[in-house]
Amino acid sequence: MQEFSPSTLLVLVPLLPLVGAILTVMLGRTLGAKAHLPAIAGIAAAAAVAVMLLAATARDVSPAHGPHAEAVRPVEMISTLWKWASFDAAYTPPEGSPATDARLTPRDLAASQDVRSFSIPVALRLDPLTATMLTIITCVGLLVAIYSTGYMHDDPGYPRFFALVAMFVFSMSMLVAASNFLLVYVFWEAVGACSYLLIGFWFTKPEAARAAKKAFLVNRVGDFGLAIAVFLLWMSYGTLDFHDTISPDGVIMPGILGQTRLADAAGYAGGAVGTAICLLLLLAACGKSAQLPLHVWLPDAMEGPTPASALIHAATMVTAGIYLITRSAPLFAACPGALTMVSIVGATTALVAALIGTVQNDLKRVLAYSTISQLGYMFASLGTGTLLGFTAAIFHLLTHACFKALLFLGAGSVMHAMGGVIDMRRFGGLRRVMPITAATFFVGAAALAGVAPFAGFFSKDEILAALHAKGWPAAHGDHHAMAVAGGPFHLAAFSTDATHATATAPAVGLDALDRPETWQILFWMSLVTAGLTAFYTFRAVFMTFTGPTRVPEGAHGHGGHDGHESYESPASMTWPLMILAVPSALVGWLLFSTNWLAHFLSATPSLTAPTVAATATPHVFHMDLAIQGTLAAAIGIVIAAIGHLGRRSDGPQLERFLGPLQTLFANKFYFDQIYSVFIVRPLEALALVAALFDRYVIDGTVDAIAGLPVALGGIVRRSQSGLLQRYALAGVMGVLAIVVLLAWQLRG
Amino acid sequence: MNGFSPATHLLLVIATPLIGAVVAWVLGGRGRSAVRQSAAVTAVITLVNAGWLVLRYLQSPEAATGGGYAVSSAPWLVGGVFDVRLSLGLDGLSIWLFGLSALLSLTAVLVSWDAIKEKPVGFYVLLLLLEAAMLGVFAARDVILFYVFFEFTLVPLFFLIGIWGHDERRRAAVKFFIYTLTGSVLAFLGLLTIVLWNASHTGVITFDIASLTAGMAAHPMPMSREGGWLQMIVFLALFAGFAVKVPIVPFHTWLPLAHVEAPTGGSVDLAGVLLKIGIYGFLRFSLPMLPDATAAAAPWLFGLGVVGILYGALVALVQTDLKRLIAYSSVSHMGYIVMGLFALEPVAVEGANLQLINHGLSAAGLFALVGMIYERFHTRSIANLGGIATKAPWLTVLFMLFTFSSIGLPGLNGFVGEFLILAGSFQRAWAGVAESFRVPYLIMAVSAVGGVVLGAWYMLWAVERVFFGGSREPPRQGAAGHDHGHGGHSHDAHDHHAGGHHSAGQEGHADRCDLEWYEIAALAPLAVFVLWIGLAPATFLAPPAAVLRASTRGATTAFNASMRAIDTGDSPPQPAHVTDRVVGHDHRASRQPRLLTSELTLDRP
Repeated sequence: MQEFSPSTLLVLVPLLPLVGAILTVMLGRTLGAKAHLPAIAGIAAAAAVAVMLLAATARDVSPAHGPHAEAVRPVEMISTLWKWASFDAAYTPPEGSPATDARLTPRDLAASQDVRSFSIPVALRLDPLTATMLTIITCVGLLVAIYSTGYMHDDPGYPRFFALVAMFVFSMSMLVAASNFLLVYVFWEAVGACSYLLIGFWFTKPEAARAAKKAFLVNRVGDFGLAIAVFLLWMSYGTLDFHDTISPDGVIMPGILGQTRLADAAGYAGGAVGTAICLLLLLAACGKSAQLPLHVWLPDAMEGPTPASALIHAATMVTAGIYLITRSAPLFAACPGALTMVSIVGATTALVAALIGTVQNDLKRVLAYSTISQLGYMFASLGTGTLLGFTAAIFHLLTHACFKALLFLGAGSVMHAMGGVIDMRRFGGLRRVMPITAATFFVGAAALAGVAPFAGFFSKDEILAALHAKGWPAAHGDHHAMAVAGGPFHLAAFSTDATHATATAPAVGLDALDRPETWQILFWMSLVTAGLTAFYTFRAVFMTFTGPTRVPEGAHGHGGHDGHESYESPASMTWPLMILAVPSALVGWLLFSTNWLAHFLSATPSLTAPTVAATATPHVFHMDLAIQGTLAAAIGIVIAAIGHLGRRSDGPQLERFLGPLQTLFANKFYFDQIYSVFIVRPLEALALVAALFDRYVIDGTVDAIAGLPVALGGIVRRSQSGLLQRYALAGVMGVLAIVVLLAWQLRG
Repeated sequence: MNGFSPATHLLLVIATPLIGAVVAWVLGGRGRSAVRQSAAVTAVITLVNAGWLVLRYLQSPEAATGGGYAVSSAPWLVGGVFDVRLSLGLDGLSIWLFGLSALLSLTAVLVSWDAIKEKPVGFYVLLLLLEAAMLGVFAARDVILFYVFFEFTLVPLFFLIGIWGHDERRRAAVKFFIYTLTGSVLAFLGLLTIVLWNASHTGVITFDIASLTAGMAAHPMPMSREGGWLQMIVFLALFAGFAVKVPIVPFHTWLPLAHVEAPTGGSVDLAGVLLKIGIYGFLRFSLPMLPDATAAAAPWLFGLGVVGILYGALVALVQTDLKRLIAYSSVSHMGYIVMGLFALEPVAVEGANLQLINHGLSAAGLFALVGMIYERFHTRSIANLGGIATKAPWLTVLFMLFTFSSIGLPGLNGFVGEFLILAGSFQRAWAGVAESFRVPYLIMAVSAVGGVVLGAWYMLWAVERVFFGGSREPPRQGAAGHDHGHGGHSHDAHDHHAGGHHSAGQEGHADRCDLEWYEIAALAPLAVFVLWIGLAPATFLAPPAAVLRASTRGATTAFNASMRAIDTGDSPPQPAHVTDRVVGHDHRASRQPRLLTSELTLDRP
C-alpha cells in the first residue's frame, strides 16, 4: 500500500494533538474566538488515525476459532523514535533475579552475573490494548473539545483551555502508547501536570488553586510508588522496556512484557520482591485512578471546568491505573496476594464511594464519587487475574468512558444553563426546559445504573461474572476457574530475595488472602454497590430533571417553542451529548453479543502470558448474575423514586433516615480530616521544628563559633569608601596578568 | 578549520569579561545605562564565544575520551624538583559547567538591568570579575590556578552581597565570607598535603591535577591506623572546603542568608554556578585522589545527602519569604546531588553530574524570577503576594516552568537527574552493599524518593499562594515614588481580575507588569535548556561520562571491596587496588568473589 505505515500512523496519534497545542499557544491571541481550531483539528485527525490503527490491529488478530480463543497470537508493533539515555556497564543484576535466568536469554547475555548496559529508548507500541485506549482517548477528547467551544465560549482563558486539552490528549496518548516503564512514568506525571493546570484553570478561585495542588500532591504519593516500582523492575528484570530488543550484535534482550519472557511461565518474579513491585504499581494506580486511600483528590478536582472533568477526571486519565495493571498483568499473575489486594482495594473503594455518593447534593460531586466507585469496579475485576477479569475491566472502562463523559457533559450543560449553579437542591424539573440534556442524561444514567440493555449492564455483568467465578469456582464448572482458585498458578517464580533462592513457590503472607471466601465477600460487596449506584444515579436524575420546574436566580433562558422559556444549551454542546448517547446505549450489547472486544484484547501481549491466557473461559451470558444485578439496580431505582421522583429537590431528603450514617457519608468518611490530623499537621509541625532547629541550633552554633564578624565587618565599611574600586581593579589586573602570561607561553 | 587554536580561544573567553570589566570601569562616568550596556555586550560576547568553544570541543576527538582540550600551560617554576606550571584547559567534566557559567553570567547582568541603581560601575565590574573567576575555576588544570580562581569567586560575591544586598547584607556577607574562607583554607591545606605527598614519592613538586591524580593512584595515602589515617584527614580537609560550598547539611546556614540578602544577579551566580564548585571539587580531587577515604565516608555522605533532601524540604515548607524558600529548596536539591555522587554507582554519578547543570538552570531561573517579583511588588513575603498570574502571565508561565523543572516533572531537565540519581541509589542499595548495610541503604533511598513528594508540596504551595488565588496588594513600604507606579488607589480583590489573564490587559498600565524584554532575554535561554535536557538528555550525559567513570573508578572499587569484605567477614581492605586502577580493569568485575585475591595487590611499602 502507498499509504502511511502503521508506525508512522502511531506517531501521528500523539503528534497531531501536540502540534495542535503548540499552534494554539502560538496563535491563540490572533485566533481569538477561533482559538479552538488548531486543537480540535489536531485531536480530530488523531481520532481518525486512531480508528484506522484500531482497524489495522483488528485485522492482525487471528479470528476466533470456536468458543475457545486460547490460541490467540500476540499482536504488537514497536516504533523506536530516539534514544533517551544510555549507559554502558551500568549495573550488575543481583543473583537469582529473572534478569540472570539463562533460559530467558537465548545467547547467554545474562547467563552470568555480568555487567550490563542500560538504555532507555523513546519507543511507542501498538497492540490491541493500546489501540483500544487510543481510540477512547481521542474520540472522547474530540467530543469534549467540540462541546467546550460552547461551554467555554466567553471565558477569557479560551485559548489556554484548548491548548491544555490538546496537550492532555498528547500526554495521555503517549502514556498508553509508551513501550517502556520509564516513558510510562514520564507521561504518568505529564497527564498529572495537565490535570493540575486544568483543575486550577480558574486560578483566581482559591478553591480551584487549592484543589489543583491537592490533586498533584496526592498523585505524587502514587508516583512515589511508581518510581520505586520502576527501580525495582529495573533491578529485577534488567530493562524497563516492555518489548524485546535486539542489540546491534544480534543478542535478544527480553523485555519485561516481551514475547520471549511471556512465553516462559516462570519468567516473572513472585515472592516478596514481585509482590512489592505489584503493590507499588497498585499504589501508583490508586493515585491516578482515585482509589482508596488516595481517592481524596478527585472530588475536589471538580473545581475545574466541567469538560475537563469529563475528559480527564472521568473518561480517560483516571483510567490510567486500570491500563497500567492490565499492561502489567503477567507481573501480577505471579503474585496472587497482590492481585487479591487489587480486588480488595477496588471493591472497597466502589462501596465506600457509592455510599458517599448517596448523600451528595452537588451534581458534579455525585458523578465524581460515581467515577471513583466505577473505577473501583474495574479494579475489582482486574484483581481476579483471569482473562475474563482483565477484558471485563477494559470493557467497563470503554462503556464507562462513554456514559460518564455523557453524564459529565450533561451536568455541564445543566451548570451552563443554571448560571454556574450545580447544587441539585437549587433547581428541578429541568426535563421541560432542557429536553435534549434530560433525555441524554437519562440514557447515561441508565447505563451507569446497569439497566438492561444499556451499555453499563453488560460490562458490569461481566465484572460480576469474573468475581463470581473466583468465589464459586465449582458452580462455574470450569476447570480453569477451579485451577485458578485452587492457587497452583503460583508458578515457581523467581525470588530476587537471596534468602529465598531455593524456594520453588515463595509464599508471601498476602497470598493467603486469595481464597474463595474473600472473593465471595468481594462479590457481595460489588452487588450491593450495584444497587447503591442505581440509587444515587437516579436520585440525581429525579432531583435534577423531575418535579416542579425551578431554576436558580441568575440563570438566563431564551425563548422556547412551546411557551416555556428554554434553557437548553447551544448545538455545539447538545450534539456531543447526542453522539455520546448512542454508544452509551448500544455499545455494551454490541460488544457483548459479538464478544469482539474480549477476543481482540486477548491478543494483547500481556494477556497472552500463559498464567493469564490459561484462565480463558467460554463466552457465556450468566443469566443468574444478570438477574441479581438487575434486581439490585431495580431496588436502588425504586428507593430513589420513592424518595425523589416528582418531589421538590430542596425538600426533606430520604437520606435523613440514615441518621448518624448520613453524617458519616456526608463527611466522606472523614478521610480529609484523618489525613490532615495524622499526616499533614504532623509533617508541618516537624517542618516547624526543623526550621527552628536550623535557626537556633545549627546557625546559633555557627554564630557562636565565629567571633570574627565584628572585625570583618570593618572591611565592608571601609570598602565603601574607595577601597572597593581599587580592590576590584587589582583583581582584574592580577587575573589578566595570568591570562596574558599563558597566552605568551602559547605562542612561544 | 578555525583560525585560532582552541587554547587561544579559551584564553580569549576568560579574558573577555576582564576586558569588559575595564571597559565598564572606563565608561563609568557616562552613567548607568552605558555601564550596563557594556556589561551586557561583554556577557553576550563571552557567551557566544564560550558556546562556540563548547561546540568545538564536542566535535573534537578529545570529546570521545573526555580528555583535556584547549590546554595551555606556562612554566612558572620549573627546574630541579620543581615542575610548577600554570595550566588551563577543558575536559568532559568541566565542559558543561564552563558553558553554564557563561550562560548564567548573561542572566545575572540582565536581571540587574533595572534593579541596580546605586554604584552601577562597581557592581558590573564585580559581576564581570566574578564571571571570569567562574570560567577560570572550571578551566583550571592545576591546583594553584584552581585555588586562585576558587578564592576569586568568593571575593566579588562578598562585595556584591555586602554593598548591593538587602537589609541584613553585612551580616550575610560576613557569614558567607567566614564560612567559605574557613572551608577553603582547610581545603587548600589538604591540597598542599596531596602535592607534598606526591612529591615525596615521585620526587617532583607538581601542581598539575592530572599528574597528581596519577601519582595518588600509584602511591595512595595510608588509610589505616599505622599510617595515621592520613588519607581520611586530607579527605576531611578537602571536605571542609567543598561541603561548605555545596552546601551539605549542616554546613548550609550561610546559604539562605546569603541568598536572601544578595542582589538578584548575585543570587543567580551563587545558586547557578558557585554551589557547583563544591561538587566539582569532590569529582576533581577527593574521589580520584583519595578513593579509600571516599569509600569509607561514602555511606555517611550518602546519608547526609538524604538528610539534606528531607531537611531542606521540611524547612522550606515553613518559610514565609519566597527567596528563602527557594534557597532551602537548593539545599534539598543539592542533597540529591550529594546522594547521587556518593552512591558511587555509575548511573547515579552521571545523574548527579547532570543535576548540577539542571539545578543551575532551575534555581537560577527561580531566583531571577523572585528578583523580578520583588522589583514589581517590593516584597518577597509569600503572605503578602497573591494573584500575580493575572498581572504578569508570562512571568507566571516561566515561574511554573522552572518550578516544574525543580520538582522533577518528566519531560523537563530536573526529572532526568533526579531519576538517574534515585535509580542508581536503588541499584546501590539493592545489589551493591553488604547485607548489613542493605536495609539502611534501602530506607535512605526510599526516603529520598519521599523527598520528591515534599519538593512538590512546598513549591506548589508557594505557587498557589503567590500566583493564584485572589490578587493581594502588598502593603506599601514607602513605595510612593517607585518606578512601577502602583498608584494610590486600592483595589477590591475580586473585581480586579474577574477572568483569566487576558482581561488583565484591560486593567490599565498600573497593574499590568509583565516581563520586560531584557527579563525575557535573561530567562529564555534557560527555558530552552530546561526543555532540551529533558527531552534528549543523552546529548548532555555523553560528554562527561568517560571522565566521570575515570574519576569515580578508584572510589567505587574501594567501596565495593570494603562491602565485600564486610560480607565475607574479612578484615577491612587496605588501600591500593592498584592493578585494578592502573590497568583499568572494570570495577564491576571486582564484585565477583573469585577475583578477590588476584585483585588486592598491595604495593604499599
